[in-house]
Amino acid sequence: MSERAKNALGLGVVGRDAFIFGTIVAIGLIEAVVVARYPGAMPLWMPYEFSWGVYLACAVTVACYVSGIHRIPSSARPSALRKTAFFIGVGLIYVSMQTWLDYAAQHMFFIHRFQHLLLHHTGPFLIALSNPGDMIWRGLPGPIREIFGHRLLRKITDILQQPVFASFLFVALIYLWPIPSVHFWAMLDPWLYTVMNWSVTLDGILFWALILDPRPKPLARLSYGARLISVAAVMFPQMLLGAIVAFAERDIYPVYDICGRILPMTGLQDQTYAGLILWVPSSMMSVVAAIFILNFIRIHEEAVAERSDAKIFNA
Amino acid sequence: MLDTSIAWSRRAFCTLLLGTAMIGCKPKEDWRLIDVEHMYPQLDFQMVNARTGERVTAQDYLGKIVVLFFGYTFCPEICPTTLLTLTSVLEEQKELQSEVVVLFVTVDPDRDTEEALKQYVSSFSPNVIPLTGTPNELAVLARHYRVAYTINPGPQPEDYTVDHTATVFIFARDGRLRLLAPYGTGNEDFGHDLMLLAANLG
Repeated sequence: MSERAKNALGLGVVGRDAFIFGTIVAIGLIEAVVVARYPGAMPLWMPYEFSWGVYLACAVTVACYVSGIHRIPSSARPSALRKTAFFIGVGLIYVSMQTWLDYAAQHMFFIHRFQHLLLHHTGPFLIALSNPGDMIWRGLPGPIREIFGHRLLRKITDILQQPVFASFLFVALIYLWPIPSVHFWAMLDPWLYTVMNWSVTLDGILFWALILDPRPKPLARLSYGARLISVAAVMFPQMLLGAIVAFAERDIYPVYDICGRILPMTGLQDQTYAGLILWVPSSMMSVVAAIFILNFIRIHEEAVAERSDAKIFNA
Repeated sequence: MLDTSIAWSRRAFCTLLLGTAMIGCKPKEDWRLIDVEHMYPQLDFQMVNARTGERVTAQDYLGKIVVLFFGYTFCPEICPTTLLTLTSVLEEQKELQSEVVVLFVTVDPDRDTEEALKQYVSSFSPNVIPLTGTPNELAVLARHYRVAYTINPGPQPEDYTVDHTATVFIFARDGRLRLLAPYGTGNEDFGHDLMLLAANLG
């Protein structure tokens, strides 16, 4: 290809990126104005409080993913199932932080735990399962790719994905935010509330990406066996915390009385349901992950066996 | 190079020391209610004062300590109890009467007409001002402070209750949200913190 054609193509890509991101910002502006002006008429699927951070993170990620898919050969593109997993995963994160669910989570403890189940477990789990890294990377505009490719950021990601540390951090965040005194201020202070939600979301993506990499070690950071140990290691502390909260005999989260509950329920009932969510579905995610890992092992071993059969046949 | 880094370390240490000393010098505010300074936006609303029928904004109350409470006239327990508590605080601490205004915002504007609100607040302190507005005006104010209100249908269409946040929001004279008082806060605690605010500590 001539240099001139390459330049023309480069300009085209820049122009297309600018158009996509301009459209995203324009839609965000409309949404922000509508939410600010007509909060009393918002349907449940519209934001309770519009957040540019959540909106841009979700919209830009989806745009980059779609753009990245179009930039790779059709033979290397992800399957429909993987694409669906990605869109549902991002959708769950968006719904958790930008719809009525966020409002409800600020007023009911069990809905808050359900929100964190989506933010820390289900949403990131589906995103990691879709293995979207390569597509998003290819879809990122050049300058942003340079920022994400910075050595320091890579180093931080490496540390956060260090297997033992990643498992510890995953459980630590599950334990940190429900500490009654921490939770009290996290629910009252909007800034701390945002930090809480983003910390579990980002940690969830990093942790599940480490666990659900279909490739074997050394292509993946962890061996299949180590991943099985990791998911088991994070499961039991969650069960313990869930049981403690579910069986508590007094309301240890009075902050929901201050925020005002939106469902006719006592504090103790609310807490019991929250404990059960912490206990059962959160732990079940580890079991689901283990099933996926066992399946990765099966697929890998079958591929290895096929290759050795082919070698014997050729010999 | 080493000298520069030592100089920087020294400067950082001195700044840290000075900062700590300044924080240490700040007078201790012995609040009994929940201190939420710097967490929420300034008081901002446009509604109707049901006592006068005039439109009012947050700017009209700058210079006063604003006690904001959401409720409705059909409320069986929380609203009358809270408004009675605030009324007795204002009766006990006469000096607060010229300093404090209690804004009672209805979360049931359909049933709480201006006349009904006016009659309802006549049972409480004259400092209690009933506010009403459109669903949008109410939602704007409620969302600023994460206030919840939900209608619970009753046996008859008009026989419903409204679950609502029972917390009282207390703003300093400059419109900053300063304190939260959970439902059940007693006269003494209200009086103590309102006096502190009135003494310009907030």
